[in-house]
Amino acid sequence: MTEARRFSEYANGATARGADSPIARRRRSTELTLVVMVALIIGAAYTIAALGTNAEIPAGIGIFVGILLALLLFAHVVVRLVARGADGTLLPLAALLHGIGFVMITRLDDELAGLQATWSIVAILAFVATLLFVQRATDLARYGWLFFAVGAVLLLLPMLPGLGASINGARIWVSLGPLNFQPGEFAKIALAIFFASYLAERRELIAASTWKVGPLHLPEPRYIAPILLAWGFAVIVMVGEKDLGSSLLFFTLFVVMIWVATERVGYLLLGAILFGGAAYFSWTQFGHVQTRVDIWIDPWSRSLDRGYQIVQSLYGLSDGGLTGTGLGRGNPNQVPEAQNDFIFASIGEEMGLIGASAILMSFILIVGAGLRIALRTDRTFEKLLAVGLTTIVGVQGFIIIGGVIKVVPLTGITLPFVSYGGSSLISNYILLALLIRLSDSSARRLGELPDDPTPTERWKAWRLTRTVHRAENKGRPIPETAGLST
Amino acid sequence: MNRQIRQLALGLIACYVVLFVALNYWQVGREQELNARFDNTRQVLREFNKPRGPIVTSDGIVAAVSFPTAPGEPYEYRREYPTDDLLADVTGYFTFAFGSTQVERLYGDVLTGSTAEQQVRSLGDLLSGDIDAAGSVELALRHDAQSAAKFLLGGQEGSVVVIEPATGAIRAMYSNPTYDPNTFVNADFEIAQEVITELQNADGNPLLAQAYQERYMPGSTFKVVTTAIALEAGILSLETVFPNESQWVPPQTNDPIQNYNGSTCGGDLATVFARSCNIPFAKTAIELGPEAMVAGTEAWGIGEEIPIDLPRAAASTFGNTDNLAQELPLLAIRGFGQSEDQMVPLHMAMIAGTVANGGQMMKPYAVEATYDQAGRVLDRTSPEVWKTPVSPANAALMTDLMIGVAERGTASCCIALEGGIPVAAKTGTAELGDPDNLDLSHAWIIAFAPADAPQYAVAVALTNVQSTPDVAVTGGRLAGPIAKGMLDFLLTGPGAGQAPPTPTTTVDDGT
Repeated sequence: MTEARRFSEYANGATARGADSPIARRRRSTELTLVVMVALIIGAAYTIAALGTNAEIPAGIGIFVGILLALLLFAHVVVRLVARGADGTLLPLAALLHGIGFVMITRLDDELAGLQATWSIVAILAFVATLLFVQRATDLARYGWLFFAVGAVLLLLPMLPGLGASINGARIWVSLGPLNFQPGEFAKIALAIFFASYLAERRELIAASTWKVGPLHLPEPRYIAPILLAWGFAVIVMVGEKDLGSSLLFFTLFVVMIWVATERVGYLLLGAILFGGAAYFSWTQFGHVQTRVDIWIDPWSRSLDRGYQIVQSLYGLSDGGLTGTGLGRGNPNQVPEAQNDFIFASIGEEMGLIGASAILMSFILIVGAGLRIALRTDRTFEKLLAVGLTTIVGVQGFIIIGGVIKVVPLTGITLPFVSYGGSSLISNYILLALLIRLSDSSARRLGELPDDPTPTERWKAWRLTRTVHRAENKGRPIPETAGLST
Repeated sequence: MNRQIRQLALGLIACYVVLFVALNYWQVGREQELNARFDNTRQVLREFNKPRGPIVTSDGIVAAVSFPTAPGEPYEYRREYPTDDLLADVTGYFTFAFGSTQVERLYGDVLTGSTAEQQVRSLGDLLSGDIDAAGSVELALRHDAQSAAKFLLGGQEGSVVVIEPATGAIRAMYSNPTYDPNTFVNADFEIAQEVITELQNADGNPLLAQAYQERYMPGSTFKVVTTAIALEAGILSLETVFPNESQWVPPQTNDPIQNYNGSTCGGDLATVFARSCNIPFAKTAIELGPEAMVAGTEAWGIGEEIPIDLPRAAASTFGNTDNLAQELPLLAIRGFGQSEDQMVPLHMAMIAGTVANGGQMMKPYAVEATYDQAGRVLDRTSPEVWKTPVSPANAALMTDLMIGVAERGTASCCIALEGGIPVAAKTGTAELGDPDNLDLSHAWIIAFAPADAPQYAVAVALTNVQSTPDVAVTGGRLAGPIAKGMLDFLLTGPGAGQAPPTPTTTVDDGT
C-alpha cells in the first residue's frame, strides 16, 4: 500500500474513527452536568439580583436562562464534536466566572449589560471558531514568528495617532468607528504562542549558557536576543502606554516561560532583579507610578480623592462581611469602575467572603487544570504554551484582585472572564479554547481516546483519495504525498 | 520541566492563598473598624435607599413621609415633613450626609423595617413580591395640641409642654426657635451643609429641642419641689407660719435674702406659696439641710437624664452640691429656684404631673406605638412610673397649694379656665442676674387641670424675656395666658373631647 493510500484510509476512518472512549465520554458528561449547573446558578443569581435591586422577578428570566443555556450547550456540543478528550472542568469554570460577572454588571448598569450580552455571544463564537480553526495545537508552533509580528502590531496599535485612544489615563485602546478595543488583550496570547514556539525550539541552546562574561555563564546572545527583544518591546510599549498591569503581566509571563523552558532558577532571580530595577526606575521617573504606590501604602489619608477608589472598595468588602449584603442589596456603585477593574470588590460586597472565595477557588481550579495540561502533554511546545496561557489567567487574576484588596499596588487590568469588556472576554475565551485544544491533543496522544483525524485532515484525505482513485482508474502513477503528516 | 511546572502551580496557589487571607482580613477581621470610619457611608446609604415608613401624630396627621424619586436622582427616596417646623423637635430629621436625630434616628430600624420582628413578618410577603417591610411610628403628640402650642407661643422664645399626668404621654412639645427639616434634608450636599451650619450658629440653637434638650433656671416654680421635700420630711405643714419680713440673712453670710421686688411677705404655708414669697422657702431649704435637700431633689429626678424615648435628653440640675454645707447661702437661694438650679421644661411639666398623679412621676414618652408594614402593632408604649417622690396625701396637699396659686396667688390674673374648671398652678420668674442686663428673665408657669381629676399637665417656659419699666416680667402674667390657652383648648376648646387616640396609620397595606 502506498503512503497516500494509507493516509487516505486512516483519514477516512478505516481505523476506529469516533470509536467509543469511556474517558472522553466521562469528561463530556462531567462538562455537561457542570454547564447545566452553572446555568442554573447564574439564572438564580440573576433572579436574586433583580429581586434585590427592583424587588421583582425579572420579566425575561425564562428567556435569559434559555439563551444562557443555549450558548453554553452550543460551546459544549462543539467541544464534544472537535475536542471530546479535553478536560471537562475548564469550560464550566470559565462560564461560572463569566456568568457571575455578567450578573454583577447587569446589577451595576443596565446599559452595559446589554453590550456585555452581545460580547458574550461574540466571545462564545470566538471560542468555537478557535476550536474549529486550531485543530492541532502543534500547528500554532509553525507560525511562531507570525504571532510575534501580530503581537507586536497589536501592542503598537494604540500608539498610532488617530487610531489609539486614551481612556482613564492609559493609552491602550484602539478606536475603529464606534468600536473600541484593547489590542493588548490579544497581544498577550500571540506573545505566549511566540514564546512557547521559540523556547521549544531553542531551550537547550539557551540553557547551555555557553557565553562566558566574567564569572557569569550566559546564553549565546543570538539565542536570547529575540526573546529579550520581545520582552523589552512589550515592556517599553506598555510603560509608554501607562498600562502598568499589562506590563507586569508580560514581564511575569516572559520570566515564567523562560524559567520553565530552561529549568534554570537563575532566570527567576534575574527576572526579580530586572523587575525590581524596572519598578524602582519607573517609581522615580513617573508620577502616576508614585501615586499608585503611595495610595497602596496609605490610601486612608487620601480617602476622599486619590485613594477614594481603593478605600471605597475596602469599605464595600467590609460592608459585605462574611455573607455579603445580598445581590442587589449593596452599594457597589460607590466604587468607580465597579463593573471593570473593581468587579471583584462588587462581588465581595454583595456575595461576601463566601462568594469572593468562590471566585478565588475558580481561578485556582483553572490554574490547576491548565498546569495539569502542561504536565500531561509530552511535547515541549504544548507544555510551554499551556504554562504561558495558564500563567496569563492566573497572574492577571492575582494582579487585579490583589490590587483591589490592597495586597499589591493597584494596576488597571481586567479580571479574566468576570470584568466588563469585549476585548477581555473574547481574548480570554480564545485562550480557553487553546487550553481545551491542548488538553484534547494530549489526551489523544496518551491514548485515552482514538486520535481521529481532524476535519481538515479528512477533507485533504478525501481529495487525495479522489486523486488516487482517478489515477488508478486511468492507470496513471500515484501523485506525490509530500506535505502530508499523520 | 515538570518540576518547574509543579513549582509554578504551588507558587500560583500560594498567591491565591495570600489573596484569601487578605480577603478574610478585610471582610471579617477589620469589618467593624472599617464600617465605623467617618467617611464610610455604606450603611447610611443603604438605609437611605430603603423605603422608609411615615411618622404620624396620634390624631393621624403625617409628620414625616417618604416618596420615591424619579429615576436618575441620586437617592431612591425623598423624605418630606408635611408639618414643616411644627414637629421637627420630635421627628428630628433624616439626612444622608448629616445623620439623623430624634424619632428618625431612634426608630430608624422600625421605619426601614429592619427589626428582627419585621424581617420575620415580611418573610410571608416575599412570595407576593412585596418586600417593602417599612414600618411606621405613631407619636403620642397630637397635631392639634402642637399647633395650639405653636400658636399660643406666638413666636416668643420658649417651650410649651403638655403631658398626661397618669401616663406620661407627651401630647404637645413645641419650642422656639425651631427649624424646618424640609429646608435641607433633600438638598444637595453643599446647600444642606450651608443650611445646617447656619442653623447650628443661629441664636437660640434652633436644631436643639429646647423643651427636653435644654435646661433653664426655674425660679419660683422650683418651690413646688422644695415644699414637697419639706412636706415629706415632716418639717412643714399647712399650720406652719412664716413671719412677715422683707429680708432675712441666712447663715455664713451678711448678705440678706429678699422677696421678689423687695416686698414684705409672710403668713401660713398656703399664703406664702400662693404669693410666692422667697424667704420662707430659703428658710425651709436651710432647715432641711444640704443632705436632705439634695436627696429630695434626686427623688424628683433632678440630676438624672430625663427618661424620654428620644435621644440626647438633658438632665435638670440642683447645681454643684459638693460643698453645700459650707455654702448655705447658696442652698437657701436654690431653695426658691435661683442660683445654679436649672430645670428642663419637660421635667417641670412632669413635676406638675407628679402632683396631679398622686405623687407618681411617669416616664414621659413621645412615641405611642410602632407598626409593621401591614399596620399590625409592633410595640405599644405602656406607661411606667419613673419616680415616686411624694406620698398621695402630700400630693393632695400640694394640689391644694397650687389651686391657691391659681385662685388667689401669682397666677390668679391669668389662669382661670373657661367653664370654671378648677386648675392648679405655680408660677416662676427666674432673674438671670446677667450683670449687663439685669432685667433679663425666664418666665415660667406649670399647671394642671382639672384640679380634681387631672387630665393634662402643662409647663410653659418663656426664656430670655426682657422686663421693661412698664411691664415687669412675671411667670403669671406672661406664661399664664399660654398655659390657660393650652388647657382651655384641650378641655373646653376645639381640642376637647378628642378620644384618646385609636391606632390609625396612613400606611397603605393594600388590604
